[in-house]
Amino acid sequence: MAVKPLTLPWYGVGRWSGGWYAAAALALALVALGAVAYSLQLSQGEVVTGLRNVGTMRGATWGLYVAFLVYFVGVSFAGISTAALIRLLDLRPLRAVARMAEVLTVIALLLGALSVIADVGRPLRALVYLPTYARPMSPFFGTFTLVIAGYLYASLVYLYLDGRRDAALCAQRTSGRLARFYRLWAAGFRDTAEARRRHERTTFWLSLAILPLLVTAHSTLGVVFGLQGGRPGWHSALQAPGFVVLAGISGVGHLIVLAALVRWLLDERERLDLTVFRWLGNILLVLTLVYLYFTVVELLTATYAADEHETRVTMAVLTGPYAPVFWVSAGALVAAVALLGRQFLTGRYGVGLTALAGVLVNAAAVGKRYLIVVPSQTHGTLLPYGDGAYLPTWVELAVIAGLLGLGAFLFMVFMKVFPIIEVPEPSEGGR
Amino acid sequence: MAITRRTFLKASGAAGSTAALASLLAARPKTLTAAPPAAAAGPAEEWVPTTCWIGKQDCGMLARRISGRVVKFEGHPEHPLNRGTLCPKGVAQIMAVYDPHRVKTPLIRTSPKGQPGTWRPATWDEALGLVAEKIREVRVRDRRLLLWQKGRSKAEAFYDDAFVKASGATKLHHGAFCSDAGYRACEYTIGPHGVLHPDFRHCRFLLAWGWNITNAGGNKLCWITWPQQLVQARERGLKVVHIDPRLRGAGPFADEWLPVRPGTDLALAQAFAHVLIAEGYVDREYLVRHTNAPFLVGEDGFFVRAGGKEQVWDPVTRRPRPFDAPGPPPALEGEYAVGGTRARPAFQVFKDHLAGATPEWAAEICGVPAESIRRVAVQLGREAMIGSTVVLDGMTLPYRPVGAMLYHVAQQELGFQMVRAVLHVFMLLGAVEAVGGPRIDLTWKPHANFEKLDRITIKDPPYNVWLQDSQFFPINSNNSSIVARVLQDPAKYGVDYVPEVMVVHMANPVLSFGSPADILEGFKRITFIAVIDPWLSETADLLADVVLPAATVEKYEGPSKASDQYVDGVALRIPPMAPLFQSRGEIDIYLDLCERAGFLYGPGGYLDELNKALKLRDEHRLPLDRKPAVREIFDRWARSEGIAEGVAYFEKKGVKVKGPVKAAKIYGFAQDPPFDGLRHRLYGESLLRYREQMKARGVPELYWRDYTPLPAWRPPTMWSSPPSYDLTLISFKMIEFKQARASQIPLLAELAPEQRLDINPATARARGIGDGDWVWVESHNAVTGQTRRIRVRARLTEGIRPDVVGMPHHYGKRNHPWTRGQGPASSELFFTGEGYVANTADQSFLVRVRVIRA
Amino acid sequence: MARYGMVIDLDRCTGCRACMEACKVENNTPEATFWMYVFRFEEGQFPNTHQWYLPRPCMHCDNAPCVKVCPVGARFKREDGLVATDTDRCIGCRYCEVACPYGVNYFNWKSPKKAYYLDWNDPDLQPVTNGDSPPYRNPDLDGRYGPEGRRTAGGGHAKGVIEKCTFCVHRVERGLKPACVVNCPLFALHFGDLDDPESEVSQLLRRKPHFRLLEEVGTRPRVYYTGGNPPVAATRQIEPVKGRV
Ligand SMILES: Nc1nc2c(c(=O)[nH]1)N[C@H]1C(S)=C(S)[C@@H](COP(=O)(O)OP(=O)(O)OC[C@H]3O[C@@H](n4cnc5c(=O)[nH]c(N)nc54)[C@H](O)[C@@H]3O)O[C@H]1N2
Ligand SMILES: Nc1nc2c(c(=O)[nH]1)N[C@H]1C(S)=C(S)[C@@H](COP(=O)(O)OP(=O)(O)OC[C@H]3O[C@@H](n4cnc5c(=O)[nH]c(N)nc54)[C@H](O)[C@@H]3O)O[C@H]1N2
Ligand code: SF4
Ligand code: SF4
Ligand code: SF4
Ligand code: SF4
Ligand code: SF4
Ligand SMILES: [Mo]
Repeated sequence: MAVKPLTLPWYGVGRWSGGWYAAAALALALVALGAVAYSLQLSQGEVVTGLRNVGTMRGATWGLYVAFLVYFVGVSFAGISTAALIRLLDLRPLRAVARMAEVLTVIALLLGALSVIADVGRPLRALVYLPTYARPMSPFFGTFTLVIAGYLYASLVYLYLDGRRDAALCAQRTSGRLARFYRLWAAGFRDTAEARRRHERTTFWLSLAILPLLVTAHSTLGVVFGLQGGRPGWHSALQAPGFVVLAGISGVGHLIVLAALVRWLLDERERLDLTVFRWLGNILLVLTLVYLYFTVVELLTATYAADEHETRVTMAVLTGPYAPVFWVSAGALVAAVALLGRQFLTGRYGVGLTALAGVLVNAAAVGKRYLIVVPSQTHGTLLPYGDGAYLPTWVELAVIAGLLGLGAFLFMVFMKVFPIIEVPEPSEGGR
Repeated sequence: MAITRRTFLKASGAAGSTAALASLLAARPKTLTAAPPAAAAGPAEEWVPTTCWIGKQDCGMLARRISGRVVKFEGHPEHPLNRGTLCPKGVAQIMAVYDPHRVKTPLIRTSPKGQPGTWRPATWDEALGLVAEKIREVRVRDRRLLLWQKGRSKAEAFYDDAFVKASGATKLHHGAFCSDAGYRACEYTIGPHGVLHPDFRHCRFLLAWGWNITNAGGNKLCWITWPQQLVQARERGLKVVHIDPRLRGAGPFADEWLPVRPGTDLALAQAFAHVLIAEGYVDREYLVRHTNAPFLVGEDGFFVRAGGKEQVWDPVTRRPRPFDAPGPPPALEGEYAVGGTRARPAFQVFKDHLAGATPEWAAEICGVPAESIRRVAVQLGREAMIGSTVVLDGMTLPYRPVGAMLYHVAQQELGFQMVRAVLHVFMLLGAVEAVGGPRIDLTWKPHANFEKLDRITIKDPPYNVWLQDSQFFPINSNNSSIVARVLQDPAKYGVDYVPEVMVVHMANPVLSFGSPADILEGFKRITFIAVIDPWLSETADLLADVVLPAATVEKYEGPSKASDQYVDGVALRIPPMAPLFQSRGEIDIYLDLCERAGFLYGPGGYLDELNKALKLRDEHRLPLDRKPAVREIFDRWARSEGIAEGVAYFEKKGVKVKGPVKAAKIYGFAQDPPFDGLRHRLYGESLLRYREQMKARGVPELYWRDYTPLPAWRPPTMWSSPPSYDLTLISFKMIEFKQARASQIPLLAELAPEQRLDINPATARARGIGDGDWVWVESHNAVTGQTRRIRVRARLTEGIRPDVVGMPHHYGKRNHPWTRGQGPASSELFFTGEGYVANTADQSFLVRVRVIRA
Repeated sequence: MARYGMVIDLDRCTGCRACMEACKVENNTPEATFWMYVFRFEEGQFPNTHQWYLPRPCMHCDNAPCVKVCPVGARFKREDGLVATDTDRCIGCRYCEVACPYGVNYFNWKSPKKAYYLDWNDPDLQPVTNGDSPPYRNPDLDGRYGPEGRRTAGGGHAKGVIEKCTFCVHRVERGLKPACVVNCPLFALHFGDLDDPESEVSQLLRRKPHFRLLEEVGTRPRVYYTGGNPPVAATRQIEPVKGRV
C-alpha cells in the first residue's frame, strides 16, 4: 500500500517560533548568570560558597553541587532505562517517549559531569587527572567518573544508532546545511524493511548491554555514601537500592513532564495519547511506593536500632534544622502517590495531574538528595565538634540555575533539529 | 653570633641530665636520630638566642633566622624556666614582631585628650625634645610633679628604676592590681618578697588556692615552669586540692575541688586552722622557736613588755621572762596574771580567736560543705608529717610535704588578712619554708619590709599622690586607681599638688587597672603624658600627648633571672634583628631622654644610677661623661659578673645556667640561725597599733577595720549591694593572652575571638539565657550606689559556682583590626576606692553584679 | 625502616593549645586551619564536674579511608606510616574530608596568600620581608619529600586543594621531631618509631594503658592516647575554636 508522503516539519523540527526564541533567551540568561557566578568562584575560591570544612569549622564540605550531581545522574538513569526497557519489552505504546528519554539521559549526564567540575577546587586538574590517575578503588570519582564517561558514551551511541533511520528520512526531505547533518547521522541508512529489521536488532542488543551498566552506575553512586563508616546517616545497606529507586522516580517523573510539554507544544495527541501517561504514571506510582517503604524502614532502623550518632543525624533531619526540607519532600512524594493512586483506582487518567505528580516527585528528589549529602556532615561528626550548619550561597544557586538553563536550552535545540518523537514506520503510519 | 641548632641539641641533652626535670627531659631528646649534617638546614640558617617578649618570666628562645630574617621562635633547650618549650603566646609572638599595626614612628597628639586621638608622625628628635623639655621644666619647679607609671615589667627593671632615681620621679606600678596584698602579707608575716608557691620537688599535698594552673602564673612566674613541676610532682603522687569558684584553672589536675564563694577565703583558712588545732596538728617547736606565738599579749591586745622586751611565760619558774632569755620552752597556752593584767600567749589568743571558726561556720560563709573542709584540713594535717625531717646537702631539715600556690587571688577586699590566714595554717604545721612546704621567694631572702611594715610612722598630711605613710593606708601597695581618685579630689585625701608630667612605660592602666573610668578621669588632670609602647595602647590613645614607639623582642634587655628555684641561671634578651620601623629599645630611649633633660652624666645621673642598679664593679663601671651603646652596658655587666667573653657569651648562648641551687640557699630553715633569727608574726601587734592611731585621727572605720592583729572575718563590702545584684563577678587570665598586651596578635585572637561571661547552666536557665546569648552584666558599688554595665555573650559551663560569673581579663583593646569586635574589658565593671580596695590599698577584682538577657 | 606514630599523654596535657600554634607557625597554615586541634571537654554537673583536654592531630591511620577514596592518589600512605597529601596532585574534591571520621582535613577556601591574618604588603615591611607572605615563611615547606619526591610538606600551598597534618614530614626526614611535639610545654606529646620496641613511644605504650580514637571504625590510627578515656556521648566541648574564613 502507498505511503502517505510526510512533509517537513515533523514534530516542530525547523519551526523556529517567537515563543521558542523567548524561551531560549530565558534559558541562556540563566546560563549567563551561572557563568558569572562560577567565574567569581574561580577567581575568589570556594570561599564564596556556603561550603566549609567538617570539624572545627562545623560546616559541610559537600553541598548543593554534589546534591544536584546525584540528582542529575538519577534522572539520566531513568531516561536510558525506560528507553532500553521500551525496546526490550517492545512496549509499543511508549515508543513515542523513547527518544525523549534518550535525549534526557544525555543532557542529564552532561549536567552531572558539569556539577562535578563546579564542585572541585581545581577544575582543570580534575579534567586531566581524573582520567590520568583514576583509581578504581575510589567509589565516587574513580568508579563513578569512569561510569559517567562510559555511560555517557554508551547513551550517545544508543541515541545515534537509534536515530539513524529518522535521520535518513529527514535527509531525503531536506536540503541545505541540515541535510548534510542528517546524512552524516544516517550514515548511509536506507529505510528498507531489511535495514529496519537490522536496526531493530542492534538497538535491542544495545539496550540489553546498557542495563547492567546503569545498575552498577547507580549502585556505586549509593556506595559512595553507603561505604563511609565514619559518616553516620550514610553508612546504610539501603543506600544503594534507595539510590536506584529514587533515581528511577526522578527520571520517570522528568519524562512525564517532558512528554506533557511536548504534547502541549506540538499538540501531539495521537502519538502521546493518554495510554503513554497511564503507563508512565503507573510506573512512577510503583517506584514511589517502593521508595516510601524504604524511607520508613530506614527511619525505623535509624531511630530505634541506631547508636547516638545515627540518631543525632536522623533527629536533625526529622525535627532539627533540616526538618522543613524533609517534610516538604516527604509531603510531595505522598501527594504524588495520592494523585497517581487516585488515577490508578478510578482508571481516569489526566495528563495535567500526572505531569503535576512528575513535578512533585522531582522536587522531592532534589530535597532528598540534599538530605542525603548534607546532614551527615553537619550533624554526623563522631568527635564532639558540635553541630554544624550549611546554607548554599547565591553563587551555588546561580551555578545550579545555570546548569538547568543549559539543559533546557539543549533540549529545545534538539527538538528543533531532530524529531523528538520517533517517526512512525509506514505500517502504522497510515491513517 | 649565629649558632646551629645542633649545638643546642647536644647542650640540651647535658642540661637535661643535670636538671630537676631530668625525668621529663630524658624522655625528650629533640631529635629522633642525630640529624645527618647534610639534613641540618641550609647554610642560610642561623639560630639566635633571645627571650620571650610577651610574658613576665622571659622564657629563653632561639630565633630561627633564614638569610637574615627571623621565621620562628622556639624554646631555648637550656633555659631552666622553659626547657625548650614555649606557651601559645611565646610561639605566636613572631606575628606581633612584624605586625604593620605597631606604632611605627613617634607620634604627637593633634586632638583633645580623653577621646581616641589623632596623631602627627614626628621625628625622634622632635618627640624626645618635647618630652625632655617638659621633664626638665617640672624637675626644677618641683620633682613631685613628675610621675612615672610602670606596668607588669619584663626582665630586670634596672634601667627604668635608674630613670626613676635619676629623674626623681614618683614611681607608680602595677603591684596593687597584681598580687601585692599577698606580698605585703608575706613580707610582714614571714619576711621574703612574694606570695606562695610549693616546693614541688618534695611536696605531696597541694592547695591550689586560686591558682589558675592551666592558664596563668601562680607565684612570681609567668606559666610554663610551674605546670612542668606540677605534672612531674603528680607523677610522683602529689594530690591537688583546687580552692577556686571556677574549675577551669585546674581542669583535670584537681583531685578535689572546693568551689569557694569569692572573697571568703579568709574564713575557709580559719576553719582549716580551727580543725588543725582541734585535731592536734600543731608544730609547737616551730611556733615556740621561730614565731611570736609564745609572746604574752595583754588585755589591751599589745605585747607585755619589760625593758622594751616582749615577754614569754616560763612554765617552770611560773613567771614571765624576756622572749630571748634562756630557759625551758615557754608556754603557748594558758592565761597568766602578769603585772596586774591578765596575759595570754599569742597562740592562746589565736586559739580563742578561732574557737568559733568551725567548719560548719565556714561552710555557711564559703558555700562549701563542712565535711569537705574538715576532710581537707585533716588530710593536710596528716600529710604534713609534723616532726619528720629529711637530709638535704648533708643538712637535717624539717620535712613538711604540704604546700600552697596562691597569687593574684590575693586581690580581694580582705586580701592582706586572707593571705595571713593562709600563712597561719601552714605556720601551725611548721611547714613555712620547710622542705616540701610553702615558699614565698625562690630563695630565702628576707625583705626590708619585714621590719619597715612593722615600724610605720603614720604621717600628717600633706601626703604624696599615692598616700604613702598616710592615715588611710599605713601599709600601702601604691594603687594607681587610688592615685586617680586622689587626682580627682586631692584635698579630700590631704594632698596639696597635682602632678603635671607623667611617663607611662609598659603599662596600660586604662584597660588593665581596676576601674578604667576613674583612671581616665584622674589621669586627664595630668597636663602632659608620654607613653612608651610598641602599640597604640588605650592609655596612649586616650591620654598621651606623645607616643614613643618601643621595640618588641628586637632589643637588648635584661638581665633576667632564669631560676626555677632548683636550677639557677641568668639570661639576656638579645635582639634577633634590628628594631622594625622606627621603634627603639627603651634603654636607648632613656639614654637620649636623660641626656636631653640634663641628667644623664655625672654623679646621681642616669649613668651613675645604671652603675648602681647593675651593681657594676669598679673597673666595669660606665664612665659618667660619655653616652654608651646599649650593648656596651650589657658587656660591662657581663664582665662585672665574671663572664670573660662579656655580652658575646649571651649572644652565643643566650642563658648562663649556674647549675643546681644549694638547699642552704633555698630554705629558711636551712639558715643559721633558721630564718636568720627572724620571728614570724603569728600575731600582728603593729597592725593593732596602726588601728589605734587611725582611730585616734578620726579616720572612718572602713579604713581601719581590717587592721587587726589576727585576721578577722567580716562580710565584704560588696555583699551589702541590693539582693537584686545576686551574682559575684570574678575575673581571670587565659592561657591564650597576656594581660592586655597580646590580644591583638592574630594567631592568638583567633583562638578566643571575643569576651565572654562564664555562667552556670542552672543560673543561665533561671534567666532564660542560652549558650552564646547576649547578656547585660551590671555591677553595683555598695558604697556609692554607682552601677556600670557591659554587654557580652554568655558561655555555659558546669565548672563554675551557680552564684558566680566569670569574665577573662585581656579584652577591651580597640586599635587593631584583630581586637575590634573582641568586646569590653572586664575591668570596666570593677570599682576602686573605699570598699573595693584592701586595707593596704590593694585593688579588689570582685564585685556584685546582675545578669539579664540583652 | 621506621614506622612512626604519636603517643599523647592526657595526664600531662593542660589544654594550652601551644601545639596548635607551633603547628601553625612551623607549617605556615592559613587562617582557621588547625591541623592540630585541642579539644577542651567538660562532663558531669556542678559540683561533680570533670574537665579535660584532648589534642587531635591527623591520626595517620593504617587503614585510612581518606586514602582509599582519593580519586587521583593525591592522598597516600607512606612506607614509614605517614599519610601524606600531594598538593600538586590534589584536585580539591574533598572526598578525603567526608571520608575522614576525625575531621582533620582543611581545604584552602581562598588563596592562602589572602588568608595570612594581616596584610603583609605594608610598604614599611618590604625592606625586611621582601614581599614574602607571611613574613615567617618556612622555606623547608617548598621541598619535595619521600622516595616519591612529592610536594607533601606544610600548608598554604594553593587555593582549592586540601591540606592536613603531615606529621611534619619536612622535620622528620631531617631527623627532627614534629614541631608540636618538641614545643609541648608539658611534654605530653611523644613521637617515634612504633616498630622499635626500645623507642620512647613503644616504652610509653608498654608502661601505661592506652586507647585510640574511634577504634570501632576500623581506621587503625597511628596516634595513641595514654591516661584518661575517649570522649563519650555526654562529653561537651567548651571554649571551642572555630576560626573565620
Ligand atoms: N580584670 C582584670 N584586670 C587585671 C587582671 C585580671 O586578672 N583581671 N590582672 C592584673 C594583673 S595581675 C596585672 S600584673 C596587671 C597588668 O597590667 P599592665 O602591666 O598594664 O599590663 P598590660 O595591659 O599588658 O599593659 C602593658 C602595656 O605595655 C605595652 N608593652 C608590651 N611590651 C612592651 C615593651 O617591651 N616595652 C614597652 N615600652 N611597652 C610594652 C603593651 O602594649 C601594653 O600596652 O593587670 C591587672 N588587671
Ligand atoms: N596566660 C597568662 N599567664 C599569665 C598572665 C596572663 O595575663 N596570661 N599574667 C601573669 C601575671 S601578671 C600574674 S599576676 C599571674 C596570675 O596568676 P594566677 O593568680 O594563678 O591566675 P589569675 O587568673 O590571675 O588568678 C585568678 C584565679 O583565681 C580564681 N579566683 C577569683 N576570685 C577568687 C576568690 O575569691 N577566691 C579564690 N579562691 N579564687 C578566686 C579565678 O577563678 C582564677 O582561677 O599570671 C601570670 N601569667
Ligand atoms: S610563659 Fe610567659 S614568658 Fe614564657 S613563653 Fe609564655 S608568655 Fe613567654
Ligand atoms: S601543647 Fe601540650 S599541653 Fe598544651 S595543649 Fe598541646 S599537648 Fe596539651
Ligand atoms: S585521620 Fe583522617 S585524614 Fe588522617 S589518616 Fe585518618 S582518615 Fe586520613
Ligand atoms: S581532595 Fe585532594 S586529596 Fe582529598 S580526595 Fe580529593 S583529590 Fe584526594
Ligand atoms: S605533627 Fe606537625 S603537622 Fe602534625 S600537628 Fe604536629 S606540628 Fe602540625
Ligand atoms: Mo600580675
